[in-house]
Amino acid sequence: MKSPLSLSSVMSFIYLACLALFIAAPMLVIVVFSFDANRFPTLPWGGFSIEWHKAALNDPMIIAALRNSAIVGFGTATLATILGFCAAYLDYRYHFFGKRAMMIAVAIPPAVPVAILGMAMLAFLSRTPIFGSPTAIIVSHTVIASSFAMALIRLRLTELGPDLEQAAWNLGASRAQAIRLIVLPFCRPSIMAAFFLSAAVSFDEFMVAWFVGGVHETLPVRILNMLQGQVNPKINAIGTVVLAISLTLVLIAQRLARTGKETR
Amino acid sequence: MTIPLTPTSARQPQQRGRLQSMTGKTIKAAIGPLVLGLPLALWQICFFVLPLGFLGVVTFWQVRNYRLQPAFVLDNWERMLGSNAFQRAFVHTFSVAAIATVLALVLAWPAAQTIALRLSPRARDRWIAFLILPIFSSYILKVYAWQVILSPQGIINSLLTAAGVSSLNLLGGALSLQIGYMTLTLPAVTLILTFALLGLDRDIIDAARNLGCKGPTLITSVLIPAIRPGIIFAGSTAFLLAFGDYGSPVFLTGSNPPTLSILIVDTIKSGSQWPRASVIGVTMLALPAVGFLIVTMVKWLLKRTRA
Repeated sequence: MKSPLSLSSVMSFIYLACLALFIAAPMLVIVVFSFDANRFPTLPWGGFSIEWHKAALNDPMIIAALRNSAIVGFGTATLATILGFCAAYLDYRYHFFGKRAMMIAVAIPPAVPVAILGMAMLAFLSRTPIFGSPTAIIVSHTVIASSFAMALIRLRLTELGPDLEQAAWNLGASRAQAIRLIVLPFCRPSIMAAFFLSAAVSFDEFMVAWFVGGVHETLPVRILNMLQGQVNPKINAIGTVVLAISLTLVLIAQRLARTGKETR
Repeated sequence: MTIPLTPTSARQPQQRGRLQSMTGKTIKAAIGPLVLGLPLALWQICFFVLPLGFLGVVTFWQVRNYRLQPAFVLDNWERMLGSNAFQRAFVHTFSVAAIATVLALVLAWPAAQTIALRLSPRARDRWIAFLILPIFSSYILKVYAWQVILSPQGIINSLLTAAGVSSLNLLGGALSLQIGYMTLTLPAVTLILTFALLGLDRDIIDAARNLGCKGPTLITSVLIPAIRPGIIFAGSTAFLLAFGDYGSPVFLTGSNPPTLSILIVDTIKSGSQWPRASVIGVTMLALPAVGFLIVTMVKWLLKRTRA
């Protein structure tokens, strides 16, 4: 190995730092300028102010959107985690005709452009009674998020190995008992991680929610609609709140996924 | 069957019991997949397969008096595929997505190589955690932030004016669009390449180094061939993300020229032209499938000509 402080490694660390700056820059800009007293976010900074945060939190449309996002996020996380566990366990335990097609159908939705998925869901759900309700958004988001939930839980099941569950059956446990007493406790960190990650996916998604939500705006859809209007300093303020929530959700998911690895 | 030495009277019921439990077992074994699989299958069919299939059906329907009506006409396909606006948007979207793919791979590679091959396991885990965060956090906000940074009176230009340089027209061109695409794709592409490089056997790299292979040669003749599937996966992820994106082209180029996603939204929101919008959607979905088919055919042909 080369010495750690060769020119090439210094250069590669500088490059890595630049990439990190590029990735972090837009988020930093949102947070920093949400506390700016100026109306239009630019330099020089107009002084510290929480005026826009107050204004944003007093906006009834933003509060309604926040409530919708919370409902949709919770519903999506619950459903996607259940479906994700079913898919992961099926793939781990059984072999049956059509399993591959089924797993592809669960895995592929995030690869479909959201404009197309949104249009398809709108065309389809507008013929059902749930159209234009938060349920329509939950249903659509669940299709996207269960792919991530399945991946997280499937990864954890790989670490379980097949013997433990078989030992439980040999000792007289039923299939359901083995799942309840062996598989679920073992997967708990990843199941919880899947829950938080699904919530984050739902909280971040605006295109499908915009299409199928009708008058029920989620927070990202509210932001999208605000962006299409005049420059609005409330966007930075509400953006800071949105960033804080989604970063927290992903961080919790990561922490949980990692505890899973350590307890092995 | 061998005759057991144990008394038959004691053995037989047990065997019958085993036989019974065998059929019972196959039924029981099917219960698990049914209970877990049926709701899942129904859900994916109802809310994913059917909606996308319905999109294909709608391409043959008609709009009369602003209402969607079942029909079987090829008019929508002819009109859309023949329209200049669609063709231009298709070529534009395809080329900017292709540029974004190459750009993302090239920009992500050095970072991935540093994270996977130079950093300590601890630092590596931190970087991986850092790269996962932006994938799931508020893309639309980040696009808005770039708008703020790049706009005529924005952050970069006010810095430039303060330094005595005339301000630049950064927003609304190919550069700002690619900045948006990089915001969307770089974290994921860097992660995929990092994982691909981590999966590599370190002995291969050490062996190559011992044989005097280093720098660019190490990358082109050892690392790239060894993780080709990872590169293809990272590249197709970048392409799909950029190809279907709506946020960057709308807010960083002002929809000028429009991409296919913008065309879909406009076709629906302004004219309720569902069938035509569906044609765009189906064409967009068909593209990766056609690409996959061509690659498979080329591979097959190469194999045949070699044989």
